[in-house]
Amino acid sequence: MRLPAVFRTSVFQLTLIYVVVFGLSVIALFAFIYWSTIGFMERQTDAVIEAEIVGLAEQYERRGLAGLVDVIGDRVRRDTEDRSAYLLVDANLRPMAGNVSYWPREFNQQGEWVNFVIAAPDDERVPVRAQVLGVGPGFRLLVGREIRELEQIDALLQQTAIWGFGLTIGLALAGGLLMGLSAQRRVSQLNRTTRRIIAGDLSQRVPIRGSHDEHEELATNVNAMLDQIESLLSGVRHVGDSIAHDLRGPLTRLRTRLEALSAEPEPNRESIEQCLVQADGLLETFNALLRIARVESGAYRSAFAELDFGRIVRDTCELYQAAVEERGIMLRLDNASGARVFGDRELLAQALSNLLDNAVKYTPVNSRIDVRLTHLAKLVTVSIADTGPGIATADRERVLARFARLDQARSKPGNGLGLALVRAVADQHDGRLTLADNAPGLIVSLELPAVNRPR
Amino acid sequence: MRLLIIEDDREVAAFIRKGLNQAGWNVDHADNGKDGLFLATTERYDALIVDRMLPGIDGLTVVRTLRASDIDTPAVILSALGEVDDRVSGLKAGGDDYLVKPFAFSELMARIEVLIRRSRTAATAARTSLEVADLNMDLLKREVRRGAARIDLQPREFQLLEFLMRHAGQVVTRTMLLEGVWDYHFDPQTNVIDVHISRLRAKIDKGFERPLLHTVRGAGYRLGD
Repeated sequence: MRLPAVFRTSVFQLTLIYVVVFGLSVIALFAFIYWSTIGFMERQTDAVIEAEIVGLAEQYERRGLAGLVDVIGDRVRRDTEDRSAYLLVDANLRPMAGNVSYWPREFNQQGEWVNFVIAAPDDERVPVRAQVLGVGPGFRLLVGREIRELEQIDALLQQTAIWGFGLTIGLALAGGLLMGLSAQRRVSQLNRTTRRIIAGDLSQRVPIRGSHDEHEELATNVNAMLDQIESLLSGVRHVGDSIAHDLRGPLTRLRTRLEALSAEPEPNRESIEQCLVQADGLLETFNALLRIARVESGAYRSAFAELDFGRIVRDTCELYQAAVEERGIMLRLDNASGARVFGDRELLAQALSNLLDNAVKYTPVNSRIDVRLTHLAKLVTVSIADTGPGIATADRERVLARFARLDQARSKPGNGLGLALVRAVADQHDGRLTLADNAPGLIVSLELPAVNRPR
Repeated sequence: MRLLIIEDDREVAAFIRKGLNQAGWNVDHADNGKDGLFLATTERYDALIVDRMLPGIDGLTVVRTLRASDIDTPAVILSALGEVDDRVSGLKAGGDDYLVKPFAFSELMARIEVLIRRSRTAATAARTSLEVADLNMDLLKREVRRGAARIDLQPREFQLLEFLMRHAGQVVTRTMLLEGVWDYHFDPQTNVIDVHISRLRAKIDKGFERPLLHTVRGAGYRLGD
């Protein structure tokens, strides 16, 4: 059998445990109150009765049966409020003195405590507590006290206990039910949202009510997580679309060329080589994509080591020097020494090579590229400043994505993956890639955390 | 010349085999690590081409086992990009070179030829001078002459020429040059290496009747007659 959902909430189950604990403490509390009030009164009554019995026994010792009858008569007369009960009977239970009209059946032997009810003259039933004293041959004396008040308080206390207990349990259960319902409502809201997301609607979000409690915090975090997943997914989708879009063109061209080639009786070498170049270009694009994916997967991180970054900057600049001079561009390198970083030598060289490639591609002939390495306490920055067309502020974030190519770059060779790789490399090194205005031109800065060697 | 390909992808193996057969090589093929290891230990080969991911015994273990049993046949390890491995682990296992798939056949060919040559001339490594036709390099004085004319080279140009002369007659690819001369292993996007080569060519070939530094289309460069 399955209970309704609210009874299965952890809040309600916790409430049940508390109900048991509170119930037990209420019982313990009432037991103590009962013992210290009713118990006390009973003990007092018993003490009074015992004292009277001792007194009457003494009277009997001194004055005999007749004297005892006198004393009882005297005491009955003096007891105007009818608080005491006396009855002296002979061996045949015939009353001889006292204010009780018959011997209660409950009594058997001497010294026994008994509670019984006598009918008062005004037809009221009066509860009495009494003890019996054996007097002489066959005579017995009953001495008691009326305990109406005691019984009333007793009844009142018991009632209070029952009501109190019931109320405690009832309120606790109702509270638990309410809290359980509220918790269940909020959790089921979360569940509804997640089920819709599982069903495919990623735009769903958990409603936020602004109460700043732990449920709200959970909901906020879940929403933030969903935002992140959605943006990652759309990124993946975008990459997929871009791959399809960017590779379809060249593949189609390659196919057309091969088709034309297959129709020729004697294909010329040059056409075949053009096809090869095109296929190589496609492969290079795939390789670049895989390389970015591999860098982003963190596969290289385990092999990271402390490196002389200045050396890598010098080496790559030296590698590009010839190509740069060929275009009449001046490549200047400022102060490239001593900067140490933690990373992968080949990846950093590849990243710098991509940045220099871009600078060379977009800087007009007979101009200048400045490479500057700055080394602060916690940060190593290499900045490459060219005097090319630059990138508009609005496009700066976009060009870091895969396959991003600005319109003015369409005519230049490239696959739009260079900066995406640099950014992936920067991310893996806990660094940052920023683009800024060189007025005119572009400054690309790669910031990396510095490694400070203890001197 | 005999070669062994240990590769489970039949298409890749057939492609390599066809190319090598055309170049006049005898090629054996094993499609798993166990058979490959058996062939490599029982037969004599001039070089091995070993795929890294193989059913049964993987490629690195094959090479490591061969090296442990003192079989020094040069080995090129092939690996697919994106696999969680790296060049370093391949070379540490005893591989002599490492190539990432997909690769151009000319690149593989060039690397195998270099490996075989290296293993044959290993004994005569300590040379004080290199000679190709009338080009002479004095490694002690760090001087280069072509015929009677002395050629002035920048330090990097000297290293580049030394690498080409040590591999004279063989095709040397751009990535091999970047590795051998600059000691970096990445893919420069543009033709940075070409510019260095054309500068070197201007110094050693300009004004001479016979060019020595040739461009091999689609592959790389070759120094020689």
